[in-house]
Amino acid sequence: MAVVPFEYNLRSLFVRRSSTLLTVIGIGATVAVLAGVLALQQGFARLFSETGRDDVAIFLRPGSSSEGESGFTREHAETLMKSTPEIARDEAGQPLASGELYVAVRLRKNDGGETNVPVRGVQDLSFAIRGEQFRIVEGARFKPGTDEVIVGKSLAMRIPHAQIGDVIVLNLTPFRVVGHFESDGPFTSEMWGDLDRMTEALQRDGCSRVIAKLVDGADVAELRERLENDKVSPAKVQTERQYLTAQTIALSAILITLGGFLGFVMGIAAVFTGINSMLSAISARTSEIGVLLSIGFRPWSIFVAFLLESVLLGLLGGVVGCLMALPLNGVRTGTTNFQTFTEVAFAFRITSDVLVPAVVFALVLGVLGGLWPAWRASRMRPTEALRRA
Amino acid sequence: MPFGLIWHNLRRHWLRSALTIGSLGIALFLITALRALVNSLEAGVRGAAGNRIVVGSDVSLWVQLPTSYQAKIAQIEGVEKLIKWQWFGAYYQTSADLFAQWAVDKDVLFDVYPEMKLVAGSMDEFLVRRDACLVGIELAKTYGWKPGDTIPLLGNTYPRADGGAWQFYCAGVYEARLPVDNRSMFFDYAYLEQAGEAGETMYWPGCMLYVARTAEGADQEAVIQAIDRLYENGPYKTKTQPESEFNRQFVTMVGNIPALMAAIGGAVSFAIVMAALNTMLMAARERTRDLGIMKALGFTDGTAFALMLVESFAIAAAGGLIGVGTALATESAIAFQLSANLFPGYEITPDMIMGAVAAAIAIGLVAGIVPAWRASRLRAVEAIRAGA
Repeated sequence: MAVVPFEYNLRSLFVRRSSTLLTVIGIGATVAVLAGVLALQQGFARLFSETGRDDVAIFLRPGSSSEGESGFTREHAETLMKSTPEIARDEAGQPLASGELYVAVRLRKNDGGETNVPVRGVQDLSFAIRGEQFRIVEGARFKPGTDEVIVGKSLAMRIPHAQIGDVIVLNLTPFRVVGHFESDGPFTSEMWGDLDRMTEALQRDGCSRVIAKLVDGADVAELRERLENDKVSPAKVQTERQYLTAQTIALSAILITLGGFLGFVMGIAAVFTGINSMLSAISARTSEIGVLLSIGFRPWSIFVAFLLESVLLGLLGGVVGCLMALPLNGVRTGTTNFQTFTEVAFAFRITSDVLVPAVVFALVLGVLGGLWPAWRASRMRPTEALRRA
Repeated sequence: MPFGLIWHNLRRHWLRSALTIGSLGIALFLITALRALVNSLEAGVRGAAGNRIVVGSDVSLWVQLPTSYQAKIAQIEGVEKLIKWQWFGAYYQTSADLFAQWAVDKDVLFDVYPEMKLVAGSMDEFLVRRDACLVGIELAKTYGWKPGDTIPLLGNTYPRADGGAWQFYCAGVYEARLPVDNRSMFFDYAYLEQAGEAGETMYWPGCMLYVARTAEGADQEAVIQAIDRLYENGPYKTKTQPESEFNRQFVTMVGNIPALMAAIGGAVSFAIVMAALNTMLMAARERTRDLGIMKALGFTDGTAFALMLVESFAIAAAGGLIGVGTALATESAIAFQLSANLFPGYEITPDMIMGAVAAAIAIGLVAGIVPAWRASRLRAVEAIRAGA
């Protein structure tokens, strides 16, 4: 069976280049918007979920879904840390666990607005649990029991008075910034200080959560079930990865809905443009189609040829769209983590989870735009097509 | 003016006309909807009352102020009514059913927020019954609640010691406009306080915010300073702001993403419009031969000009109609969805409709003027020869 040479379609796209260009830009822009929103979602979601560890457990108050709403008394936290056999111990036999306080503190931003900065009070072992994930890049760690804080790199760029030697007042207590840190994950938008000093300065008691390094092969599911129903010191236990993934659900849902909505609506317009472009291409080539049919090409080869041409338009649009979205990769932005209402800094990330749906979407637009025109072309009668020209 | 001809021309390539009108409609709908979306973020600021000030902790929105502050703040000159707001943080059925519940001083709620109106139920019952609550009209719609219902909520911030659910009696349904949204529930702070004192839940006598209604003619700035001076040495420093300023921080919180989205959407709409323009110009070019014949038959240059321009306007107007129509038709559905996802205030204003109409007129003009001018300058002989 004869297939219309692909070159025919390539040349056709070139001959009507202004119309091709506009269609490609239309599809490309649609794809770029979809890719941009997905890149935002990816940047946010991966910041949280990729860096979460499976060997670190998070203990929250039963019923709470984020550390912002969780809380333990000091005794409760101590009991959890000391009497949970799944928690690993250091050389000195101390459980590798730490109580952490988490407060979203109102601070001014460099650009004048106000933001909620996550301030974390930690105990000494927090650093041991994080290990390599946490790095001081400038200055030093705060000394336990003092009014010193260290500030995450991303945060230091966004708020004033966060350089080393500066003083930040939390409630009534001035804290001196002694270091900047970097870390995998969302911590780099935070400010850390000594747990006891923070609870006192911020007038809180107890801590928000307990984190702990687990022994190898610890059964987290069993631990979760046991502590959930514990009479003395109940807790909700998750691995850090589970916890961080859950944190992104609300914003991810908003972004995916928004991206989906924009993509859908713009996609319809892009399909319309595609159909118009194909229809005019076909009507300009009526006589050629007549010739093709009369020299023996079957209607289905005509159909396939024109559909291919439209898919090619879609593919070009997809490539253009991805190229348009590509400069977004690495662009830093900030948004609110709606689970804790604190600000998180992160970067757009163009990953395969962005590019693959974007290109598939473009191809679908091409197919939808080409079906009807291609079918019309294949239904032409050779004699009429030749006469109409 | 041969209107029949315009109609006939549009119908000759009906599919192309329909698709062009459709694309324009979508572009105009998007422009309108994205404007409304960006606009909705500021709704809480625009709706803020000039006579309300908000007292919160200087440290954090999540740090409570003691209830003992209430009496002292109420004594400050210029403070007319004072109301506590405390986040109750419970959920209905599953933790995915997110909505705000507020423990407030119910006797002054409608005094401080006159924009709240009772649309069903009984105010007396709300004031008399200890466990009574009011629910927003959208919330009532989502869960099918009506006055007289019992609403069980599982405490999160305030889990019950017995592990059970809190029981609220739905005394009424309110409707408000921003800054008070229609997806909240209000009940009496005393209900929470009594439960706490009876040991039914872990409770600390505090609240997230106090909102004060200031007296007419009061110096608001002075009132704000007087309040903050009360506690400048702690133990819990306060930060008092006019309501508009307090609400503005939530706008900045969402960050620049909506603006970014709107910019991208605007650019795409532009691309769609360009493509539609191209189609319209293409259609005009095909008309050369017809126009030549018409000129030969005695149609004037002016008629040819008007013919092309009106055709372009007809397409743009139809697109504009579809765009504005879609925006208005989807308004309540989109508003409801956004509001359920923490973004209340989506609204299509007359301003936005005017904007879309202006854009449609501009598109009609830009797409029509060049072909119309060409049509008026066309010589019959050349046109027929070129088009053959």
